[in-house]
Amino acid sequence: MLEWLKSVVSDAGIISAVKVTFIMAVSSTAISSVLGILFGLLLERFSFPGKKIIVRINRTLMGVPPVVAGLVVYLLIMRRGPLGPLSLLFTIKGMVIAQVLIITPIISGMIYSYARKSAPSIRAFAVTMGATRWQTAKLIIRELRKEIYFCMVTGFGRSISEVGAVMLVGGNIKGRTRTMTTTISLLKSQGIFTEGVALGILLLVMAFILQWICDLLQKEGEEDENY
Amino acid sequence: MKKKVLAVLVAAAMCVSLAACGGNGEEKKEEKKETKAATEEQKEDKAGDKGRLMMATTTSTEDTGLLDYLKPIFKEDTGWDLEWNAVGTGEALKMGENGDVDVVLVHAKASEEEFIANGFGVERFPVMYNDFVVIGPKEPIAKTDDINAVFTQIINDQLPFVSRGDDSGTDKKEKKIWENLSLDPASDPNYIESGQGMGATITMADEQKAYCLTDRGTWLKQSKDATLESELEIVCEGDANLLNQYGVIAVSPEKYPELNNEGANDFIEWICSDKIQKLIGEYGIDEYGQALFTPNAGTDS
Amino acid sequence: MRITNLEKTIGKFHMEVNDFYIEPGKIHGIVGPNGCGKTVFLKMLAGIITPDKGILDYEGLSSRDITMMSQQPYLMHTSVYENLIYPLKIRGTRPDEDEIDEMLNRVGLREQKNQYARSLSSGERQKLSFLRAVIFKPKLIMVDETLSNLDSESEEMFVGIISEIQKERPITWLIVNHQMDHIYQLCDEIHYMEKGRFVKK
Repeated sequence: MLEWLKSVVSDAGIISAVKVTFIMAVSSTAISSVLGILFGLLLERFSFPGKKIIVRINRTLMGVPPVVAGLVVYLLIMRRGPLGPLSLLFTIKGMVIAQVLIITPIISGMIYSYARKSAPSIRAFAVTMGATRWQTAKLIIRELRKEIYFCMVTGFGRSISEVGAVMLVGGNIKGRTRTMTTTISLLKSQGIFTEGVALGILLLVMAFILQWICDLLQKEGEEDENY
Repeated sequence: MKKKVLAVLVAAAMCVSLAACGGNGEEKKEEKKETKAATEEQKEDKAGDKGRLMMATTTSTEDTGLLDYLKPIFKEDTGWDLEWNAVGTGEALKMGENGDVDVVLVHAKASEEEFIANGFGVERFPVMYNDFVVIGPKEPIAKTDDINAVFTQIINDQLPFVSRGDDSGTDKKEKKIWENLSLDPASDPNYIESGQGMGATITMADEQKAYCLTDRGTWLKQSKDATLESELEIVCEGDANLLNQYGVIAVSPEKYPELNNEGANDFIEWICSDKIQKLIGEYGIDEYGQALFTPNAGTDS
Repeated sequence: MRITNLEKTIGKFHMEVNDFYIEPGKIHGIVGPNGCGKTVFLKMLAGIITPDKGILDYEGLSSRDITMMSQQPYLMHTSVYENLIYPLKIRGTRPDEDEIDEMLNRVGLREQKNQYARSLSSGERQKLSFLRAVIFKPKLIMVDETLSNLDSESEEMFVGIISEIQKERPITWLIVNHQMDHIYQLCDEIHYMEKGRFVKK
């Protein structure tokens, strides 16, 4: 069993898939976090006509099926698409674009809900302390940090477990755009179950760790309310 | 702008097809009722309802529409409801090994013989063949019927090539050609493995302006049905090495007594019969102007 | 500070303050029944709520010199100490550790200095909020019911601290309460509010 796990984990194809998965997930989580957090906070901060519709669209996009996002990005970046000359199709960059499209609304939607709950009281507090606008913004971000980490972990979890968009846009090219999930899908299609299961276990372990982090963050959040 | 219109069209097409599916379902139900009534009336001279026959087969037989065409005829002739799982040859044989299906219809002779040698299958019967073609951009490979020349040029000039790399029958065929030529495709930095089915691989080759080995049926169907017209063409066809022989094997009832061996045998006998062989030989002429498969049951292929 | 022609409507509630003068360096009490608009009035002075119209003349005070203690103080997700020095931090002032320890000692929060602020009891929260308001030496402090419903011991302590501050360097206090109690012994002036207006009594 141990030998088998060892041989699987040292397999060049598997190592490459893990690497591609991480490069993709870290990049897309980073970009989506910056965009999503900024957008979520700004959406909470400012009122303008059409805001309700934007919030509703955001909510809808939170549940967009990844393959649909994948298809849209595919149509945009394919050779005969509007962004074709950039040659992004079947590259990690392309996959990141698709994932940013999937994850950003999730993060911004979550941040918006959290901010709507606690930002007004933080803002009022900042005013009574005589904080400047910039200090107020910094305070809001600092006070929401746990929620922000939680959103980022959620985004990362989505990213590593996603397969539809990654398969479409990345093309599952061996050694280049083949991720852990698309490897599993390929191994299954070849009728090779052992390595697929090993990768599945690895993903599950990662999901477990992420879930654990989320739990920790949420537990601390709950403790706050015990007064 | 054109692309935007295209995207909207695609979205609209999705909606329409969803609606169409719903409609079809209802129609089918009605049809079923009618056929049920009909079979009840003609119980004596028709086979009736016997049950389900589960088959594992390769994507090409489904993608070309051949199975959908044969299914109702099989039902009428033998009474079995044919259902199938269309996957790569490797996975199809694995399903047989695991006793998940009653019969397999695949195209990788060596693997099939190994399957039988390992006791999972009863006997292999050749059914038909189709052929492989190499598709790709017009330049720089000139159209030829010499597969060895094409593959050698791809390696020598480091031309882009998309392989399926999924252990399917087509993939095995491709690997065999490299092997026979003692060439290592990995030495070509522009050689990539898609790890996906034939259709996705053709699309990828089209995107990358790359060469690719495909079965003719999938290529014909795809180049006819795809939204965007393919910019690739057949650059190599007709080589004897490019024939793709399909075999049918009943999964061993000794290993898995619970399987529907009776249905499997009926299917083998039926698909090798003169009547069905003739139908296979005519399939696709109406739609594509050429037959997709050449029947050859009873031969030694 | 002087407030002229101030108006604010929130739903059914309407507030109108035509001419109101707050004498600096004094302790002002505002008394009135629940829902008469005391909190809204303070929040407008603090800049949390914008009035519909009117002039607020702070007579040279900037927003950095004004603070307000809310009924339910906001505590940051950090330690008692970090909460306490936040107003100093944003002003770029270096906290005087000895003074802080002494202040914490005085209200009985010394032990909890490095504890997570949100684990404090509601009474401790009020004490922390009070210290946080006085620590940066503002010139106008508004107190929204924070000092009501205290046990007599805490009440005495707050009264003591406030009178000390006033002796040392008189600042302006606006203390709101819905009932007359101990704190009002401190007040130099008491204003009565009813249905969004100041009334004479």
